[in-house]
Amino acid sequence: MKDHFKAIFCSYAEIFFFQSGWLGALIFVMTLVNPFVALCGILSVVAAYLFAKFIRMESVYLESGYYTYNPLLVGLSLGYILEVSPLMVFFVISAGILAFMVTILMANIFATYLRLPILSLPFVLCSSLTYLASRRYSNLLVAWESRASYTPEFLSDLFSHLPQWLSGYFESFGAILFLPSVLVGMVFCVLVLGYSRILFFLSILGYYVGTGVRALLLGSSQQAFGDIASFNFILIAMALGGVYLIPSPRSYLIATVAVVVSILVLDSIEVFMSYYTIPAFTLPFNLVSLGFIFVLGILRYSGMAVCVGATPEETLENHLADKLRYHGEQQRTLHLPFSGPWKVWQGFDSGWTHKANYKYAYDFVIVDEEGNNCRGTGEKVDDFYCFDKPVLSPIRGRVIRVTNNLPDNPIGKVDEANNWGNLVILEDPRGFYVEISHFKFESLEVSEGDWVERGTILGRCGNSGYSPQPHLHIQIQGSDKIGAETLPFSFVSYVDDNIYFANDLPDEKRRIEPLFVDKRLDGMTTFLLNDVIRFDILKEGEVIDELRLEIKSALDGTFYFETLLGRLYFGKHEGTFYFYRVEGRDRWLPLLFLAMPRLPLAHKPGMVWSDFVPVGLTTTGFQRVLARFASAFLPDFARVQVNQKFRTSNIVEAVIQPGGRQFERKAIVTLDTKLGLASVKIDHFEFRRIKDEKKQPVFVPAGTRQESW
Amino acid sequence: MKLPYEKPAIHKLQSGLMNKFGRSPAYARRVREHIEDVPIEDLVGEFGSPLYVYSEREIRRKHREMYSAFSTRYPNVVFGWSYKTNYLQAICGIMHQEGSIAEVVSQMEYEKARAFGIPGDQIIFNGPHKSLEILEKAVTEGATINIDHMDEVYDLEQIADKLGQTIRIGIRLNLDAGIYPQWSRFGFNLESGQAYDAVKRISNGGKLELNGVHCHIGTFVTEPQGYAIQVRKMVAFGYEMEDTFGFSMEYIDIGGGFPSWNRLKSSYLASDIAVPPIDEFAEEATRALTKSLRPGDFPKLILESGRALVDDAGYLVSTLVASKRLPDGTRAYVLDAGVNLLHTANWYKFNIEVDRVVSGINENSVIYGPLCMNIDVLDEGVYLPPLSRGTRLTFSPVGAYNNTQWMQFIEYRPNCVLIGPEGQVDVIREAEDLSDIHRRERLPERLALGQ
Repeated sequence: MKDHFKAIFCSYAEIFFFQSGWLGALIFVMTLVNPFVALCGILSVVAAYLFAKFIRMESVYLESGYYTYNPLLVGLSLGYILEVSPLMVFFVISAGILAFMVTILMANIFATYLRLPILSLPFVLCSSLTYLASRRYSNLLVAWESRASYTPEFLSDLFSHLPQWLSGYFESFGAILFLPSVLVGMVFCVLVLGYSRILFFLSILGYYVGTGVRALLLGSSQQAFGDIASFNFILIAMALGGVYLIPSPRSYLIATVAVVVSILVLDSIEVFMSYYTIPAFTLPFNLVSLGFIFVLGILRYSGMAVCVGATPEETLENHLADKLRYHGEQQRTLHLPFSGPWKVWQGFDSGWTHKANYKYAYDFVIVDEEGNNCRGTGEKVDDFYCFDKPVLSPIRGRVIRVTNNLPDNPIGKVDEANNWGNLVILEDPRGFYVEISHFKFESLEVSEGDWVERGTILGRCGNSGYSPQPHLHIQIQGSDKIGAETLPFSFVSYVDDNIYFANDLPDEKRRIEPLFVDKRLDGMTTFLLNDVIRFDILKEGEVIDELRLEIKSALDGTFYFETLLGRLYFGKHEGTFYFYRVEGRDRWLPLLFLAMPRLPLAHKPGMVWSDFVPVGLTTTGFQRVLARFASAFLPDFARVQVNQKFRTSNIVEAVIQPGGRQFERKAIVTLDTKLGLASVKIDHFEFRRIKDEKKQPVFVPAGTRQESW
Repeated sequence: MKLPYEKPAIHKLQSGLMNKFGRSPAYARRVREHIEDVPIEDLVGEFGSPLYVYSEREIRRKHREMYSAFSTRYPNVVFGWSYKTNYLQAICGIMHQEGSIAEVVSQMEYEKARAFGIPGDQIIFNGPHKSLEILEKAVTEGATINIDHMDEVYDLEQIADKLGQTIRIGIRLNLDAGIYPQWSRFGFNLESGQAYDAVKRISNGGKLELNGVHCHIGTFVTEPQGYAIQVRKMVAFGYEMEDTFGFSMEYIDIGGGFPSWNRLKSSYLASDIAVPPIDEFAEEATRALTKSLRPGDFPKLILESGRALVDDAGYLVSTLVASKRLPDGTRAYVLDAGVNLLHTANWYKFNIEVDRVVSGINENSVIYGPLCMNIDVLDEGVYLPPLSRGTRLTFSPVGAYNNTQWMQFIEYRPNCVLIGPEGQVDVIREAEDLSDIHRRERLPERLALGQ
């Protein structure tokens, strides 16, 4: 039952871009100031919800309210004009179901063909249809005079003294739910303010820019502030400035421009629709917002919110942390195709050959301490350090193409007829091809069709093809053809000057060395699904709490630690263990995250690395509110760096450096070959792993088993 | 101009032709005026004679060369600096700065590494004698322990009971890699099945967990093929243990034994001909390794090289204190440094260089040390021109095993200095005086001389 209520109330919350059942319930309560509106709204949304249930739509899709807020809006809009009657009930229910069907239809078409959200377009369509239809039904009592919402008398006196520029703002806010009342608007404003300062700021920005410019155009501020359709400005500003774009001065400016543009749309629609006595509803908001989102998306505007959070603050916080945390590609990742320290000779889009279609490629050579890549004068290929060194497979995949019989050029000469020289093309199951060039004559140890693991020796570095001196060339391409266009990629799990890089692009001239996963570290960070691990939490030596983590897996296959109050997502990607994000209100999970945001699964003494965590993890209360709001303008407010290092192969130290005036914090994580995560010390807390009572399964060796027969 | 005086000498007539190695005994001149651009005379002037001199640049160069040779051929290589080769702290410091962990073979060496600040988990603990006390410490500090014999297994099981935990260990193997002499006194023999039995016993005990294999085939090995055979046998054994007993082969420790440019007395050939370059060893060992490992499996390859890293970076400067002619007519020189400082003179024929150009014919000469002991001979026969008193003779390479095996016997032990990369010279071990010798002594009062 609770789930049903939650789904219904979430529909109310969705209208303001909130994701909270409780806020939805509050909004529902506010609608009661106009009982007609409230009744029709709830009728419509419940009808849609029940119908969805009836046709067995899965509840995962319904619980967010995403598919039911449009029916709700249609209901509210009908409550605004209809008198109560049995016929009205029937009419509203039909309208609700219609709106639901249109929502599903449009949502799929928009998602598939346009990659756009539907916003409240189904509502505009269905409300327009029902408004038009209702004119024919003489038995349906239509109150064409809009009915005022209830306001206690002492308040209405007070509100009547408000200047119009202020009351207009509140009324517009209320009008979003067809409750154009100062009181309702005020309450909604407070809700928005409490939920998200960025949304609140945008609502003010949108309203006053929109009505201000409109007042100039209309020549009447009274008309501009008096038109409750100005809520379109509020919605446009919120949707563009904070929800679909990552909050930043640029997104705020785009939102402002969109609001100004929408004035023309609003007025033209009002002129046109008033002919049919239909209000503009949220049509200007939909047209302008969708138009902007589509255009920005197609032009690959970099500030689009890829992962929309519960609030703009969260979107921003995750975006800023992700931008600092993850540098490389997600899919097209390679391990370095060699062993030991090699130097980057040419990187992306640089030097003399990595240009145009071939710009996404790397060249490597070996150099000595003086930076020379050869012994002596380097007149022969074997004087070069990299010549005849093993070339390793950077991925696990299949060998698709092999050339092995081209001679190694004398130093300084190139083979222009066979640019790529002796080569291997590998097919990666993730959907791309890896090409490695300039192998030594007849050095390849794999043949077409072979399956190779990461690190398998493919052949030896040579000087065949367009190569004046021995070096190794690697690129990713979209097809298996020799000389196909290259695609961007990044390298995972390597060390540069004892600094660990999980997924990045090394600069030219850097000497980098690949890391291979250490079985011991890998084993210590492997958590089995449905296992429970428990920690005593100590403060100054006293046990103050117990933390019980259950290992669970989400729908998309990511793992998380679950407590009663929250989730901590983690995972391994290409040689690195990560904590990804924290959800919920558990006070201990953020500390675990902070203590070890990431861990290389390979140990080198003294190796250091750094990571960044969302600012919400290190701040609370007003400080968090301030940091989150300000980071839209100054991203450094959200920069929380965590510098980590191996103290020993089992002990990882972290220094957390929050921005601003906050103090550095220190954490020490101890790993254990038996327990995995054995202890975490952070601030004055210590998480101490409780050893499980149950015995470890005893491995019975095959040899002894035979003997006991 | 007056020609310098040359002492007359009777010398066996030779045709004057070079021998097949391009070196004429009669005319070859080996002169060394500098070590790393620092004049030997300045070094001796400041720090006295005899004097051990190390070149930091050479140690680092060697380390990087060797690490590069192995790490560019196999992706998971760890060097364990063999403390017994040279545990002067400055030398260890360079090795650790270059990324080596520590390989120790006794309580003293273990404690030395810990005192230097090396955490327990970066220490490899080998050797046939590990006391219960130090073994327990090593277990609690997470050291990598390679067991040498069955009694150690019993000791470790006892410690496992006491600490209430399973202990992870590696097993030392001895095997036939075609190297003579075969080192069979350390670890468990592979071919006879002794090693298999030991692992079975360990598995049945349930208190120890095997996670690595270790083997060290010899010393001053000049046959790279030996490492290939060793690696193949070790990997096969490791996989057998994985498959049979469920252990995980996390590391393969192939020990050391790699040669320096020194020349064994038994070697007819000069070292630059007799000793293969380190790249050949790396190529043989890693090729055998990558060929025998299963796809996608890259256990840690540990090397415990000592001599190959430090030997060539060490010099011993000495001073000629006397010359004499033996009854059989052989020329003989007495130096202020002898086998007390140069233990390895027992098996090496060093490169001996004179600090100045001396004219005159080279004569077969014997070099004696300062000890009043008949055995104190540094070289039984080296061709040297007639040398006068005070001439400095530099012995090299002497970086390995001398500063750990030298003895305080008859003489004080001298200064050791390190020439830094910028040419700066630092004393890394001070010369001894009487107080060092007396410090540990206790004289019962009744034996003291009266006032």
